[in-house]
Amino acid sequence: MAGAVAIGGLARVVRAMPDAIYPFTEIPADKSGIRWTHTAGKSAERYLPETTGPGCAFLDYDADGWMDIYLVNSGKCDFYEPSPPLRNALYRNNRDGTFTDVTEKARVPGGGYGQGVAVGDYDADGFPDIYVTQYGKSILYHNNGDGTFTDVTEKAGVAAPGWSSSAVWFDYDNDGKLDLFVCQFVEFSKSLNKSCGTGDEGKHGYCIPRLYKPMPSWLFHNNGDGTFTDVSKASGIANSLGKAWGVVATDLNNDGQMDLFVSNDTVPNFVFMNRGKGRFEETATYAGVAYSGDGRARSGMGLDSVDFNQDGWMDLFVANIDLERFAIYQNNHDETFDDQAGPTGIGMATRLMSGWGLKFFDYDNDGNLDLFLANGNPDDLIESLHSQVKYQEPLMLFHNTGKEFQNVSAQSGPVFAKPLSARGMAIGDFDNDGGIDVLVAVNDAAPVLLHNAIGSQNHWLGINLVGTRSNPDAIGARITYQSGNLRQRRMKVGGGSFLSAHDPRIVLGIGKRPKLDWVEIQWPQPSGKIERITELPIDRYITIVEGAGKWK
Amino acid sequence: MFPFWCSALALASLLFAGLHGASQTASKPAPDASSVAIKATALAEEGRCDAALPGLEKSIRVADPELKRKVGLAGVRCSMTLGRTDSALRFLEALARGFPHDPDVLYAEIHAYSDLSTAASETLARTAPASPPAHELLAESYEMQGKWDDAEKEYRAIVSQNPKLPGIHFRLGRLLLSKPNPPATVADDAKREFTQELAIDPTNAGAEYVLGELARQESQWREAIKHFSRATELDASFGDAFLGLGTALLSAKRMSEAIPPLQMAVKLEPQNPSAHYNLATALTRAGRREEAEKEFEIHRKMTQKGDAGQGQPAAEPQNPN
Repeated sequence: MAGAVAIGGLARVVRAMPDAIYPFTEIPADKSGIRWTHTAGKSAERYLPETTGPGCAFLDYDADGWMDIYLVNSGKCDFYEPSPPLRNALYRNNRDGTFTDVTEKARVPGGGYGQGVAVGDYDADGFPDIYVTQYGKSILYHNNGDGTFTDVTEKAGVAAPGWSSSAVWFDYDNDGKLDLFVCQFVEFSKSLNKSCGTGDEGKHGYCIPRLYKPMPSWLFHNNGDGTFTDVSKASGIANSLGKAWGVVATDLNNDGQMDLFVSNDTVPNFVFMNRGKGRFEETATYAGVAYSGDGRARSGMGLDSVDFNQDGWMDLFVANIDLERFAIYQNNHDETFDDQAGPTGIGMATRLMSGWGLKFFDYDNDGNLDLFLANGNPDDLIESLHSQVKYQEPLMLFHNTGKEFQNVSAQSGPVFAKPLSARGMAIGDFDNDGGIDVLVAVNDAAPVLLHNAIGSQNHWLGINLVGTRSNPDAIGARITYQSGNLRQRRMKVGGGSFLSAHDPRIVLGIGKRPKLDWVEIQWPQPSGKIERITELPIDRYITIVEGAGKWK
Repeated sequence: MFPFWCSALALASLLFAGLHGASQTASKPAPDASSVAIKATALAEEGRCDAALPGLEKSIRVADPELKRKVGLAGVRCSMTLGRTDSALRFLEALARGFPHDPDVLYAEIHAYSDLSTAASETLARTAPASPPAHELLAESYEMQGKWDDAEKEYRAIVSQNPKLPGIHFRLGRLLLSKPNPPATVADDAKREFTQELAIDPTNAGAEYVLGELARQESQWREAIKHFSRATELDASFGDAFLGLGTALLSAKRMSEAIPPLQMAVKLEPQNPSAHYNLATALTRAGRREEAEKEFEIHRKMTQKGDAGQGQPAAEPQNPN
């Protein structure tokens, strides 16, 4: 009897203890309503595209101020005919933590072997459009503004045939319109698929991309009339043959012209420095970001650009495959970079990982940009080759203390112990509480939606920037803000991560400080105008329209 | 062993037959030295090594190359059979000098040296099983088999017997770094061993090099530069140490200082793409872009050549990325 009382007492104590608050909590499908699953169509022939998708996006397709979700699936192509057919998915945010599948009504099902997604308002009508990259031909969906989309690929001229991976909307010629860069991976078709074996028990595996021919990526100039011109050759982009997985549009030399950092697999990465007048110069080797420190081309996959040390110059990050370590390149202010993977500890922490989706963002709103990594080895036979490397890998979270990055994965929630074949990863605040949430797209499995539980415990301000003279998404805008003794800089880069697109709003964290003194926006060219906004609210989202001089 | 000696004897027999035939056709008496050699090899062929060896030894410098080769091979076989190491080594030396690329000779050398090595290790194990060399030999053997813990025990046994013996702490440090799934303290543990090695033998360039590499991995540039510099001073032909020094100086943003060691690394190891890459990077950062481009071009060609030589799909690793 006494024992029973004691056990009952212990149970009461346990029940009375508050649940541990982890930064991120997985929202199950039965709660979110997101029941869509990615199907890779893995075959005995081991076609390489089966290992690489999918991507995902946070976007506000109906402009209601709440982030919706788009998910990319595989589909019919020369090596795969799924039965029943597969489709992408658009989920509308119900503003209560749940989502409704509106794909059919919106008419955005995809229709090929999908890979990734890029989102941008290319016609400046206030509604974001969707570009779906595919193995085969990619698709441009124009947002009609009434909850539906129209496939305008042919008219726009942006099909980009081949194996497209990541894509990004950005304004390379500063004419105020969003242009489109599309990564192309390798030359591939059913007949070009190669067979690889471990030699153990005749196991048949996916081949290393080194065996496939590199290809040029695409650059499309926005003509402003719903059509685009392929300027890949004229711009110099097509002179460089790569095996491109990731792209981020950023300004690496502070000249007001958007540059591109492109990650390549088994060949050197690219930096396309924008030299103006529609020309790019590939400088990655001189920049020190093409190869590893010992001169080896690595397997560049996910990437991002961020001013992680807050010196006013954009730095670079690229994830690689296992045993290669990820790279975090600090900008030397002269178009060269130094890899700080060693000093930051990120190199050792990622030694065994293969990284795809990734993004720097301030998950706890303390003002410092943290780093979230989504990982997974592409080779399902990897564990028979390397005793320390796993096929499915956990997510990782690095907290930026302002002085260093600390690997806080183990303390950040059970989801960080969950093995995944993560690929795409998008950030977005789907419940508008100021804590930036995360969506992870998983190869051949359901996506993982993570709710951020601690961002809202600090103060913040979310800003939606709308360009009028500059591009409508304000890609390339620079934001500086002051809150008491905290001054931080942000740049609104285009793209980043892998195959994915993000919430376009910028969240400015200020920790426990009660007030945001001012925010200064340097709008992208062609205006380049600087506007300082004061008397700002906190803990909510606002919109700042270029030239208005105030928030709404 | 058996097939080798069979084939060697068959070869000797053929050679003998050929020489004998040629001698008969010429109807001339064989020179004295040749006669001795032919007789000795015939005895060897019959397995009568006791009787053959004196003649073979006398014939080791016979003029006819074919006969000399035959004598050498038979001499090695008989010497090994009789346990005459000194004699075997003389025959091996003569064969190596006279027929350095002959496959049969090389095959004979491999087996003879292997047998000599086995015999010596057996003798060591029998006569001085607790001696440091016996432990060292065992440790090396364990290392080759990947039995890291057993190897470590052997090295520790040597250190406990003779703490001042040069080379053992170096091997211990190297072993600790080779272990799969090492503990978090592995770098510190290894550093301790290399530092102890240098206390015993301050001329160990390898220990300085590894300490430099460990410091470089920890981004301790000053420490890395110090150790790599010492390694290059101790061994002026140590290409990797020059490369390490150059890359550490590069990381420390001492661009101009990085160039000379990297140039030396390129000179010592012209086929090392990393040396060319880092030299090119240092030259770029020092503003010497034209020279840098030449080095980048060499690096590019080397890496492209390397990629082209990656083999066919079936031989490739499975990793698709």
